[in-house]
Amino acid sequence: MNPALFDLVVAVARIAVMLAFCLTLVVVFTWVERKGAAYIQDRRGPNRAAIFGIRAWGLFHPMADALKFLFKEDFIPDRAHRLFYQIAPMFALAPVIMTIAVIPFGPDVTLFGRRIALQIADLNVGILYIFAVSGMTVYGVVLAGWSSGSKYPLLGGLRSSAQMLSYEVSMGLSLMGIFMVFQSVRLSQIVAAQGGLLFGVLPKWGVFVQPLGFVLFLVAQYAEANRTPFDLPEGESELVAGYHTEYGSFKFSMFMMAEYFHMVVGAAILSTLFFGGWQFPYLGDTGFLFPGGAGFALPPALVFLLRIGSFVGKVVFFAWLYVWVRWTIPRFRYDQVMRLGWKMMLPLSLANLFATGLILLLPGR
Amino acid sequence: MTIGIRKVARPREMTFPESLYLVEIVKGLGVTMGHMLRNIVRQEGIMTMEYPEVRRRMPPRFRGRHRLMRRPDGSPRCVACYCCATACPAKCITIVAGESPDPAVEKYPVRFDIDMLRCVFCGLCVEACPCDAIRMDTGWFTPPDDSREKLIFTIDVLLEK
Amino acid sequence: MPSLTIDGKAVDVPVGTTIINAAEKIGIEIPRYCYHKHLSVAGNCRMCLVEVEKFPKLQTACSTVVTDGMVVRTDTEKVRKAVTGVLEFLLINHPIDCPICDQAGECELQNYYMKFGLHKSRFALEDKVRKKKVQDIGGQIVLDAERCILCSRCVRFLEEVTGTRELQFFRRGDHSEISVFPGRPLNNNYTGNLADICPVGALTSKDFRFKCRVWFLKAFPSVCTGCARGCNVEAFFKGDILYRYKPRVNEAVNRAWMCDFGRLEYKKANNARLLVPFVREDGREKMMSWGGLLPQVAYRLKDAVEREGPDAAAVIASPQSSNEELYLVRRIASDLLGTKNLAFTSRVPGDGFSDGFLIRGDKNPNSRGAQLLRIPGGPAFDELVVKIAAGKVRALLLFGDVLGDLTQEETAGLLSMVPFVAQAGTNEGPVSAVATAVLPIASVAERGGTFTNHAGRVQRFHAGFPPRGKAKDTIGFLTSLANRLGAGWAFDGEASVFRALAATEGPFAGMSYESIGSLGQEAKG
Repeated sequence: MNPALFDLVVAVARIAVMLAFCLTLVVVFTWVERKGAAYIQDRRGPNRAAIFGIRAWGLFHPMADALKFLFKEDFIPDRAHRLFYQIAPMFALAPVIMTIAVIPFGPDVTLFGRRIALQIADLNVGILYIFAVSGMTVYGVVLAGWSSGSKYPLLGGLRSSAQMLSYEVSMGLSLMGIFMVFQSVRLSQIVAAQGGLLFGVLPKWGVFVQPLGFVLFLVAQYAEANRTPFDLPEGESELVAGYHTEYGSFKFSMFMMAEYFHMVVGAAILSTLFFGGWQFPYLGDTGFLFPGGAGFALPPALVFLLRIGSFVGKVVFFAWLYVWVRWTIPRFRYDQVMRLGWKMMLPLSLANLFATGLILLLPGR
Repeated sequence: MTIGIRKVARPREMTFPESLYLVEIVKGLGVTMGHMLRNIVRQEGIMTMEYPEVRRRMPPRFRGRHRLMRRPDGSPRCVACYCCATACPAKCITIVAGESPDPAVEKYPVRFDIDMLRCVFCGLCVEACPCDAIRMDTGWFTPPDDSREKLIFTIDVLLEK
Repeated sequence: MPSLTIDGKAVDVPVGTTIINAAEKIGIEIPRYCYHKHLSVAGNCRMCLVEVEKFPKLQTACSTVVTDGMVVRTDTEKVRKAVTGVLEFLLINHPIDCPICDQAGECELQNYYMKFGLHKSRFALEDKVRKKKVQDIGGQIVLDAERCILCSRCVRFLEEVTGTRELQFFRRGDHSEISVFPGRPLNNNYTGNLADICPVGALTSKDFRFKCRVWFLKAFPSVCTGCARGCNVEAFFKGDILYRYKPRVNEAVNRAWMCDFGRLEYKKANNARLLVPFVREDGREKMMSWGGLLPQVAYRLKDAVEREGPDAAAVIASPQSSNEELYLVRRIASDLLGTKNLAFTSRVPGDGFSDGFLIRGDKNPNSRGAQLLRIPGGPAFDELVVKIAAGKVRALLLFGDVLGDLTQEETAGLLSMVPFVAQAGTNEGPVSAVATAVLPIASVAERGGTFTNHAGRVQRFHAGFPPRGKAKDTIGFLTSLANRLGAGWAFDGEASVFRALAATEGPFAGMSYESIGSLGQEAKG
């Protein structure tokens, strides 16, 4: 086979697989969010949409929603800035989708005698790329808020820009520890480095070597994704629907997709950086090897599936955590958000950075 | 009789672990997860009423949508005396009286419309009716509809129930 | 003059006055069913019992003539007990079908029950004597024998007022009922009054039957436009719809009565009304606004005068108009247009039926007023018709809905000789079917003014509610038309016009709305 064509096919296939995976999760999670919220609140949740009388616990609701969004009138408010108003949802959605490019979703596989990384692009700047691209989403929100020509969206947009910028700082700093420990910003290497054991017992996952960093990163991620308890930009009690108040039809659904994509991608990054990505605990290339020497061999195909499954499972769990947290914790007040960001998160992440460096420089390592 | 004194919990200073929130958040997550699992396994805890299929039983004195009563022979009991229309504070009842072919009935409503969009469900029409011809004991609300005309209930609609 | 005290109040009344009237004079109302001021005294209902000092028993106030020094008490416990007992007797066989009874709301049984009764019935419903309900006994009347309390007002009315004697009591005891003789229904022109004088719902109006509950109706004083008698009426309306006329007591004109034709006059204010100004161009009607049509009418009239002399314009006044309106019409014709072509006619289509009582042959309410205001009638109208037929009139301003007694074809033929016919009318008719411009004006219920009846009595009628549709108050319309013709009038409402009229017109000299009052005033001459 023509190597160039093969590369192309592989590249397209990887993009397709990753995109399909994330989009499916996005769709499923709109349902999970509603149904989960309902059950948490002793309600029944969506259960009306039916195809041929089959209700399937409301699983058709995302489809019905999508159809509704597609067929609704594409409305542009009179006062809106027409160009920016239309660009804004793209700015919100596109960068989030782009971040999936660098996430390794499985170990390298050998196909037709060639080693293929299960990652769309194994950039050497890895995580920095994620920061750079996801930093763009703030433009979507701010543009949407400003171009709507309405006061609630504007307030929502301003809030979210302040909030996202603030937490971006702590988010970046909280990851520094990870880079220092694993000596890389390339995600594939970070995942590979998490395959080992810590003190011979624990998997050498980021969460175990950087517990504080994990907590800080988790919190910062929620703030970045504008999810509860940091969903002030669309705090409906005070801002109607925040920056997307004036949006309807498919443009609104793009904002919704961006939010859920953010959740999925955030979950993927979290699992990659702190939970070993596709690593399965105590699973080596050839089989399980438990601490203490016990273990058994497994066929490579099963190992591969276990590892992919491990990644999928982690992503699903952390995406669910977003939902779970949303229906558990009430929204912060705006000043609380800012205080937490600047007075707690930032000093703590700096302290974490300092402590990590200190430990790494301790003699005897 | 002594009036008891009940201690009311006052907000207190948070301890350090509490002020970190981490443990408290995990506790909260436990509560919500507990609710969710319980509701998935057993449905009894779910408060939602599946409205059109399941309907709440209204208390007997609930003032619901109106109905007009019939005589044993099926003709409306209403004699178009206009007492309800007179009593109605919302002026939502429109009656047009007509001469009944039955001299024992004499007067009957040719039209009897209740504008449900105007009705305030005060029940004064029921109080005013000298013939017990109008009642509000259907135990049900005005169902929603998609046009104003459909929500002006005519005599046929009111006699249905 | 005997002087007596009633409930401690002293009163002087002429010899022969009954207690009930003496009490009325000082504002004490004694309950009554059979007594009616305009009928003979029967004394059979026993509701008006009062205590008179030195009389061992209670006396009927309606039939006891006062004597000097009489001391009457109407408010004692004894009287109250007696009246309550009488009422309970009257209600024994009453069906209490108030929900379907048109009298409800103005029923004396209801009123006095609330005042003196308020008792629980001691008589079971099934033991009540049943009589025939819903009997069409002719005229405008429906009879319900069950509701009757046998007060005999109707019998006396038909005996004393119309002299036709159709109603009579039949049978005995609690089976007594009122009815007509077999095959001899009510046959006179005053049957409607029976519904008015019946204190209960036994005799009710066929025309008003089930139309409206009386408590929804509001009333205003008016004058019947049915004939030159000018019966005083009370007009009842709801919203902008008239429901009925009832006679208003005026001893000098109609006493307490009115004829059956007059009772139906109210329908003219409801049905077939002209409500929007329009012009007729090439046989098609085109809606106009007042602002667009008035200048056109003024221009056409002025244009005819300026081009072909004042007599090319003509004005036909209507005896249906009020004195005020006729006065303005005359001034427009004589002073502003300068035309000699001004006339009116009292003739109307149909026969000029009259009787010796209330109904007059002249079917217009204000022919006399037109005469007194020096608007030429009779021969002048015929001359004008000849002129119009000869094509000498180029622009015609016409009031009223009919043109004398001309038929529809004659009207159409005559008016086709005039290039421009502006009609100011209230109802659709032969004129509005052919007029070039139609100006809808307020009906008698929507405008105020005075009519002068056949005897020269000037009587006021009032506006009950604002004009329907785009119809306009005639005074306002005439004033703006005159101002378009260069008058500079500042009349505002009929009162200001009447002041000007009274100041200049001899027959009305010294009159004012105050002096006319609610019962009218004779004009001089």
